[in-house]
Amino acid sequence: MDKQSYTCVLVSDFNLQNFAGYAAHDAEFPHLEPIAAQLGQPVPTLLDTAAPHWQKKADLAVIWTQPHSVVSAFNALLKYEQVPVRDVLQEVDAYCALLANVSGCVRYAFVPSWVLPSYRSVFGVLDMKTEIGLTNTLMRMNLRLAENLEKISNIHVLNTHKWIERAGINAFNPKLWYLGKIPFSNEVFKEAAQDVKAALCGMLGYARKLIIIDLDDTIWGGVVGDVGWENLVLGGHHHRGEAYVDFQHALKSMKNRGILLAVVSKNEEQAALEAINQHPEMVLTLEDFTGWRINWQDKAENIIELMTELNLGPRSAVFIDDNPAERARVKESLPEVLVPDWPEDPLFYPATLLSLRCFELPSLSREDLNRTAMYLSENQRRDLKKSVSSLEEWLRHLAIRVEVEKLHPANLQRATQLLNKTNQMNLSTRRMSEAELMAWAEQKHRWLWTLRVSDRFGDAGLTGIVSLEIRDRKAQIVDFILSCRVLGRKIEETMLSMAIYHAQALGVEEVYARYVPTSKNKPCFDFFRSVAPRFHQQGECFIRDIEHPFPLPDHIELVQ
Amino acid sequence: MAMNDKITQMLFNVLDELNQLRPREEHLKKDLGTPLAGGSGRLDSAGLINLIVLTEQKTAQELGSPILLTDDRTMSQINEVFRTLGSLADYIHLLLNEKRHG
Repeated sequence: MDKQSYTCVLVSDFNLQNFAGYAAHDAEFPHLEPIAAQLGQPVPTLLDTAAPHWQKKADLAVIWTQPHSVVSAFNALLKYEQVPVRDVLQEVDAYCALLANVSGCVRYAFVPSWVLPSYRSVFGVLDMKTEIGLTNTLMRMNLRLAENLEKISNIHVLNTHKWIERAGINAFNPKLWYLGKIPFSNEVFKEAAQDVKAALCGMLGYARKLIIIDLDDTIWGGVVGDVGWENLVLGGHHHRGEAYVDFQHALKSMKNRGILLAVVSKNEEQAALEAINQHPEMVLTLEDFTGWRINWQDKAENIIELMTELNLGPRSAVFIDDNPAERARVKESLPEVLVPDWPEDPLFYPATLLSLRCFELPSLSREDLNRTAMYLSENQRRDLKKSVSSLEEWLRHLAIRVEVEKLHPANLQRATQLLNKTNQMNLSTRRMSEAELMAWAEQKHRWLWTLRVSDRFGDAGLTGIVSLEIRDRKAQIVDFILSCRVLGRKIEETMLSMAIYHAQALGVEEVYARYVPTSKNKPCFDFFRSVAPRFHQQGECFIRDIEHPFPLPDHIELVQ
Repeated sequence: MAMNDKITQMLFNVLDELNQLRPREEHLKKDLGTPLAGGSGRLDSAGLINLIVLTEQKTAQELGSPILLTDDRTMSQINEVFRTLGSLADYIHLLLNEKRHG
């Protein structure tokens, strides 16, 4: 992961110093550099976009307030004065407008939802009644906050209640409040800092995409090779059996959110597959797994093979195994694979999986939801490849169609996601928010196209981006991004052909691509160095005059 | 374990938590001579507040007896009580003894 520090403006009506301490000094990636705005002045801070802390366009802002300090009508409700909910919600709308005011001053902003101290339980029976119940009103305020801010792509509401629950009975500490204007205990701030970091990781494209699981004593109880699938502990009226079923449900729910599942297990393949296919209580089916390695080889080697097959890097994977020795082995040989400590007791498996903070996504695209199906069609492509005699024949059989579109609001979300999470075939590895990307592409001297790739086996979705910037009759290919899902099918050449065709039409004399190296994008450098027809290489710059067009690969149908 | 040792261990646990909020180079050493507040102290006001609240919590949790470090008696001698980790340990010992003997 990168070693960069990310600046984080803190805006609050209370003392956020403890949050800042955890955010800055926790060793976990990403490293945050907090910048405190004026304490206790959230509204003036949000109004004054000329203030120094907004001027340098910080990477993120955490804007954390107490409901009564920014919504005066709620303050009146706290004193049990009669205030229509309508008035309260109008003030929430006004507060959201203030937040929108600073959305252009930061790349990402996180707004923790509002909470009331849990010790405030007087008049509990009235708490959930409309108009007079404090909790009822606060829930409406939070919903309004979330609905309003959903329209602003770089502002995200975070769930404070989760932090409060995790911190337990001491989440609110009146002593900290009266001594230091700190409303929450350190446990709350610790949880908040971890969630903010996890969310930022997701924004930066570092979310994990694949869960690799073991079988015996991990997704079912018992060793299938010893006891047979009929005697595995799974489901039924058995506390551990129920927990294994719930764990499988949790895995399936992750799959439904676009996380890939795969198996690496030391077993006889036939016995293991039979268990998956035959056991009546299995929740997961073979179709839920994008791949598996079930054999007696070293698990780390199996994981490398599997990742290569799926065209994913080790930083995309999480490995779950009940056996501490196997976990230690994988941790040691593949330090970039996340290997969470795993509880001994299977009753805690579902909760442990669901509390991992490594799958954060800023948005959910059609491509995310269909990811498993896309990888399964990839298996069909591989089978076809084995049955034909040459690469050209395989490509012809695939009947690839590339649909090109300019950037527009409907494809902006997915394009931004692709820009922020593609690492290998990525020329400049720029990371931008939706608003930044759109603003960049809207400039008159810039062009940005997205590519959707499909073939006879399925639609890979929006998987490519290419952009041009024209200056002094020279066209720079700024972004050259292709998802690893469609690498090696000459989509790369199609992107070059398209970019050079447009550059020609715009009357430029030269096209060049400046490679910005990262620890992961060497495949892009290798492509530009070896592509035919050749580019002239000057260090990390690849140049081509455009007298001759760059040919479109024969087997590609290009739709513009 | 003697009461003195229990108090020292409890205060070391408090330092572990406080250090999570501080840069590595400013971590407070687990040593009874470590200066806390006052002239040569290492804690700013927020650090001192955290120390007070964490010490109260951990004394109750780990030594089974709640103490109060924000009363007038303590506040009137704040620089002496919180001068070093050792002076704080002595003060906690005094409070616990007073409690035990009514």
